[in-house]
Amino acid sequence: MKNKNLFLKTRLLLMILSLMVLGVSFSAEGAIDGVISSSNHFTLTAKSGYIDTPEGGHLFTWGYALNNANMQYPGPTLLLKQNDVVTVTLKNELTVPVSIVFPGQPDVAATGGVPGLLTMEAPPGGTVDYMFTASQPGTYTYYSGTMPELQVEMGLVGAIIVRPSTNPSTQAYNHASSAYDREFLYLLTEMDPEIHRKVSEGRMNEVDTTTFFPVNWFINGRSLPDTLLEAPSLLLPSQPYNIVPRMRVGERVLVRMIGGGRDFHPLHLHGNHHKVIARDARLLESTPGTSGADLAEMLFSTTVASGQTTDAIFTWTGENLGWDLYGHSFADPLVSNETFAETTLLSSLSSNAFSTSLTVADASGFPATSSFRAIVWSGTFPGTTREIVRLKRSFGNTFTITGRGLEMIPLTQGNVEASNWPSGSRIAYTDHGRPVPVKLPDQLDLTNGMFWSGSPFLGTAGPLPPGEGGFNPNSGFFFMWHSHSEKELTNNNVFPGGLASMMIVEHPDPLIAPFADNPNITVVP
Amino acid sequence: MKMRYRYLILAISLLLFMTNAAIAAVNVQCPGVPDRKCVHLSSGDGFVQMADGTVLFIFGFSDVTNVINPQAVLSVGELAATFSAPTIEVSEGDQFYLTLTNVGMKMRPDLFDPHTVHFHGFPNASTIFDGEPMASIAINQGASLTYYYNIVEPGTYLYHCHVEATEHMQMGMLGNLYVHPSQNGKSINGFTKFVYNDGDGSTGYDVEFPLQVGSFDPRFHIANLEIEPLPFAGMKDTYPMFNGRGYPDTVNPGVLPSPLIAENNFKPSQPISSLITATKGQRILLRISSVSTVDFHTVTVLGIPMKVVGKDARMLRGPAPDYRDLSYYTNSLQLGGGETADVILDTTGISPGTYFVYTTNLEHLSNNEEDFGGMMTEIIIN
Repeated sequence: MKNKNLFLKTRLLLMILSLMVLGVSFSAEGAIDGVISSSNHFTLTAKSGYIDTPEGGHLFTWGYALNNANMQYPGPTLLLKQNDVVTVTLKNELTVPVSIVFPGQPDVAATGGVPGLLTMEAPPGGTVDYMFTASQPGTYTYYSGTMPELQVEMGLVGAIIVRPSTNPSTQAYNHASSAYDREFLYLLTEMDPEIHRKVSEGRMNEVDTTTFFPVNWFINGRSLPDTLLEAPSLLLPSQPYNIVPRMRVGERVLVRMIGGGRDFHPLHLHGNHHKVIARDARLLESTPGTSGADLAEMLFSTTVASGQTTDAIFTWTGENLGWDLYGHSFADPLVSNETFAETTLLSSLSSNAFSTSLTVADASGFPATSSFRAIVWSGTFPGTTREIVRLKRSFGNTFTITGRGLEMIPLTQGNVEASNWPSGSRIAYTDHGRPVPVKLPDQLDLTNGMFWSGSPFLGTAGPLPPGEGGFNPNSGFFFMWHSHSEKELTNNNVFPGGLASMMIVEHPDPLIAPFADNPNITVVP
Repeated sequence: MKMRYRYLILAISLLLFMTNAAIAAVNVQCPGVPDRKCVHLSSGDGFVQMADGTVLFIFGFSDVTNVINPQAVLSVGELAATFSAPTIEVSEGDQFYLTLTNVGMKMRPDLFDPHTVHFHGFPNASTIFDGEPMASIAINQGASLTYYYNIVEPGTYLYHCHVEATEHMQMGMLGNLYVHPSQNGKSINGFTKFVYNDGDGSTGYDVEFPLQVGSFDPRFHIANLEIEPLPFAGMKDTYPMFNGRGYPDTVNPGVLPSPLIAENNFKPSQPISSLITATKGQRILLRISSVSTVDFHTVTVLGIPMKVVGKDARMLRGPAPDYRDLSYYTNSLQLGGGETADVILDTTGISPGTYFVYTTNLEHLSNNEEDFGGMMTEIIIN
């Protein structure tokens, strides 16, 4: 790539521009932010404060703070290990009684405070201790058990992650079917500002939670575009968590979804299907403890129900696009995920032949589509002759190659046309070197998105008119992960906003797309 | 002074350049490749008539694939928006070329909105053909963009415009889209049509019907036509529909008559009936998708067990190596916006007669203030 220098310079400029304009910093995204206690003792203080919403809203909020820090929304994400014996001390600085319930945790012992309906409560100025053993790994929530119809709305909600005893940093559960490369939290909530206004004005007896009508929606306590802002951010002192999932091609991303409010949200993940492996901190398995997630479902939208948690694995390879997502020329080397269906042609295929057969075993991995593209070559790729063919997979135990030269003329090395393909030649199902099959419209006929790189190819920037694009420093693929109740893509009557984030698929090469997961983990004694 | 002069020259040349270069034109790309499938949609505005007689302004798509002179699309597509949008059917293995021509909004000449197609659920999508405007490109008025999709996964999807998503989707840019499996044509257990490549005929069916769950908030549509501020926060849908019609229009077997208003040039705009007919003994496939921008809906079929064999364009089977059967019988299917399901109704042992499909969100059995109607249709077993 002769323009590499220019390309790198452009990217740097874009990155600086992004930092200047949006305040987007990609330094603090990734993994899951939260708090770890070396003694498994967390102190949360219920207090009031304000959160900011992108349309200019300023909502009076009650939240759980870590020790004596700012009120935060949501509460601190508690990062636990399986079998931790955990104590959570709740101090109450609010003027109403408050408590915590831990759904999914068995045998929670509460000491101190005063009896409430669901659990022991901390009266104003008082404290209460909760103790439990995090016996099962998974994704959980915690929230107030005191007038929860008001107090959860007011902000008293948070997430708990219990890591398994087996491979705690690479698996969600004690089974390899839950293995992941990166993980992200989607704690979904909503708010009705009217309730917050009345509470802030002390008009408690006018608050009617049955007429609840939310107009602000949140992921991890923020609404688009604040979801993409750095975490933590000085601009949002009470909303320390963001949501900017990033991955490299082929990685497995664990998405931990929590319905933290009272409404259901259909969370739609652009880019690919996701495999739902667990609900409410239990693997979807036919034989608990042994079979792994053999009851997993593949979905493109997950209903995130209130009070429910869902774990899903998302991956993206770009396979089967029908064109080369890296914009390779045919002579470029194959990259790893382009050879996944590679097999060996045991019979020879002469240049005049229009069909040959592969055994089922050889052809496994080839798609069951009626027609697809492949490369045949012998010796070392790409240093030898090779040819592009189209394959047609037919029913029965054999698979037939048809359409030699249909799509492109046979390609050659050193001006020698491939005459036949000897026994032992290799064949790969691939889009390697295939151009985008359509001509793109004139630039003036297009509106370019702020995250559009100007090029269809991953890791490549293209020309854009001044002022368009510019927020995609590595030329990744941005996919919106959002509520498909489209009404929720607003911030109190202002579009766009709300329950939406952008997930970024980055080029596999760290030189082209440098980034690292740097979760903000607070460690307390 | 010198600088200002220079800027003036620059501005003038830019203007000239733009007038020269912006030769926006309809451009259909449908190359002669194997397994090609081509569809041409126009995007613009139009009108529909609700089951209580109310006429609503919409944004939408129109099928202009068969318009021979591409340049004529700019006039043919004018005020031709349909709801639901034209149903797109493709087959696994197709190379699908979908051209979108933005003909502009006749009733809203103040709007310069670009449009896109989001092939909702397309596996391993690329951003360029994803249609989400922040991460991609959108086509301006008077021009065409051809999307390319290598179709590899059968199932029930949907498509919609993703530009200003809340507005354009509430306004009606929502269509059925499904992919037939390569197993079709093979005979397994007496079936030749299947929802998925099941290998055993378990998703076989005789007749199929799309059922798009959707709804409109009339206040939003009226505000849009009257160029008033749009009520995003107050959005509350009161016209629940199947395939763009409320009951009893859902069971009109033909194209609904055009809304009787001159602006629309009397073009019919609600082509998709939801009347489901089958012969006793047949298996009916309902391809149900929800495009509601506000609510979750539960759909029930009274009198015939519903077997859910697919969800979100994937067969309900667990992962390799066991591929456990996850299909199930139910009489309540809940869908949020952007979710789809494949439901098979086996009419073996079902008496001939009329059966009802409706939402159990009972307040949605209404056409706004008309208390009887809404999201309901009929199955007629002969």
